Amino acid sequence: MSEFGLRLAISLTQIAAVMGIVIVTVLILTLAERKVLGWMQDRMGPMEVGPYGILQPFADAIKLFFKEDIVPAGANKLLFTMAPILCLIPAFIGFAVIPWGPNWKFEVNGISVTPFVISDINIGILYILAFASLGAYGIILGGWASNSKYSLLGGLRSAAQIISYELNVGLSIVGVLLLAGSLSLVKITDAQAGGFWNWYLFALPAPQIFAFVVYVISSVAETNRVPFDLPEAESELVAGFFTEYSGLRFAFFFLAEYANMVLVSCVAAALFLGGWNAPYPGTIMALLGAPSLAWAENTMWFAVKTYSFLFLFFWLRATLPRLRYDQLMRFGWKVMLPIALGNIVVTSLAVFFYNQMK
Amino acid sequence: MATTPTSKRLSLSEWFKTVTFYEILVGMKATLSHLLNYRPVTLQYPHEKRTLPDNYRGMLALLRYDDGTEKCVGCDLCEAACPSRVIRVVSAEVPDEPTKRYSKEYYMDMTRCLFCGMCVDACPVDALGMTREFEWAVYDKRQLHLNKQQLLAIGDRSFPVREKRLELQHPNVAFFNVAFKHVPPKPN
Repeated sequence: MSEFGLRLAISLTQIAAVMGIVIVTVLILTLAERKVLGWMQDRMGPMEVGPYGILQPFADAIKLFFKEDIVPAGANKLLFTMAPILCLIPAFIGFAVIPWGPNWKFEVNGISVTPFVISDINIGILYILAFASLGAYGIILGGWASNSKYSLLGGLRSAAQIISYELNVGLSIVGVLLLAGSLSLVKITDAQAGGFWNWYLFALPAPQIFAFVVYVISSVAETNRVPFDLPEAESELVAGFFTEYSGLRFAFFFLAEYANMVLVSCVAAALFLGGWNAPYPGTIMALLGAPSLAWAENTMWFAVKTYSFLFLFFWLRATLPRLRYDQLMRFGWKVMLPIALGNIVVTSLAVFFYNQMK
Repeated sequence: MATTPTSKRLSLSEWFKTVTFYEILVGMKATLSHLLNYRPVTLQYPHEKRTLPDNYRGMLALLRYDDGTEKCVGCDLCEAACPSRVIRVVSAEVPDEPTKRYSKEYYMDMTRCLFCGMCVDACPVDALGMTREFEWAVYDKRQLHLNKQQLLAIGDRSFPVREKRLELQHPNVAFFNVAFKHVPPKPN
């Protein structure tokens, strides 16, 4: 096999594995969300399909697959078809730079393979942010191409909201980047090794607690989740930007939203919560005499952090009502933005004096 | 922003609660406590059903006597009592018995019925009853236009143990009552 062919095969295998994990996670999330919401509201959630409703995601998928797919009259057919795909691609593409486990390398016929990250590029977080903001196009075009007032309103709201909060996401992680001195997610994660006091959420000289709060709130807004679900706003805009969508196209929007949630959670875990690093120094597997299994422990920690963050999404949804539009904007620009900017100033000064003292 | 309340100076504790999202945290604690002390109020309806109260007013039915004779004498009082005009009675003479009548046809349009029970109250011979059936969802509204046979069938189903025999009734009632013997008597 030629070198190019081997490279391609390795990359495709990794991509297939990561896509598989993400899609399975999304399936779990669609069920978990309904279940957790149900439990928090003294209901049961889905119970009919399979024992305790665990086959509900498959039933949903089959239903969406066989539903009639309608393109409304007067819709821009090309954009109407493209919009869900434009939403989905940026949501999935960001997973290319997420480090799932320890920073390993091994060689196959002279080609170095990093099994736990598809591609360790040195502008990883910038890449994710760039593509995350592309997802707004899908929503806006979907709303506009539907030829419906409600969809258009949902899309327009989404445009303003995503731009406002994307800004805050970008600014809130600058502190972490200052501390790490790198944009590569692998390097940022490696820098947080050795116990939870080294995580950037708590790390000296500048704990990023405020930045983390800003990041959590902004990422909820960016993924269009309650309490910032104004693009959907089913009580005022019918169903928002996807009012006219049905069947598989609607499923794509749905999938994109959940994939975005997973992506945002992964980034939060990698930037603030130490990524795959365990909250204690060393590994339990090494103490048990199986240091070669340490990767399993570390990957487990990454999953735990990601899923805890996803649980936070459900928890917020079960608790909070939707914000009004002017409240959303005021909160984003007058509260979140100054906090994020202040955090950058404080972190910069702290890093500067810390380096002077060394 | 005409509706914005006039800004007032926050006290220190209020300010602290605002910046720490105190109220949101209280709410999240409440939802989490519901998750941890999970006691669902849901009933898995088709599998488990509520026990109905004793005076539950469900589907209407026509009743029979012990020997299978219809109770209804075709007096039209239920039709007159019904506020939503559900009932239509076509009464006729009992053949060979000029003083006695029965309902030749009896229709109920259950799409309009509001289960007030006035027809049951109005019936002088207790020919109408309210059963405890409530699962009457159908795909076609026309299936809720019930005729006499269907109503009698509901009655037979819901009250398998029938009331006393015609002959044991109060003499006055027995005199004016059906005695429509065309209905075959119950075996035995």
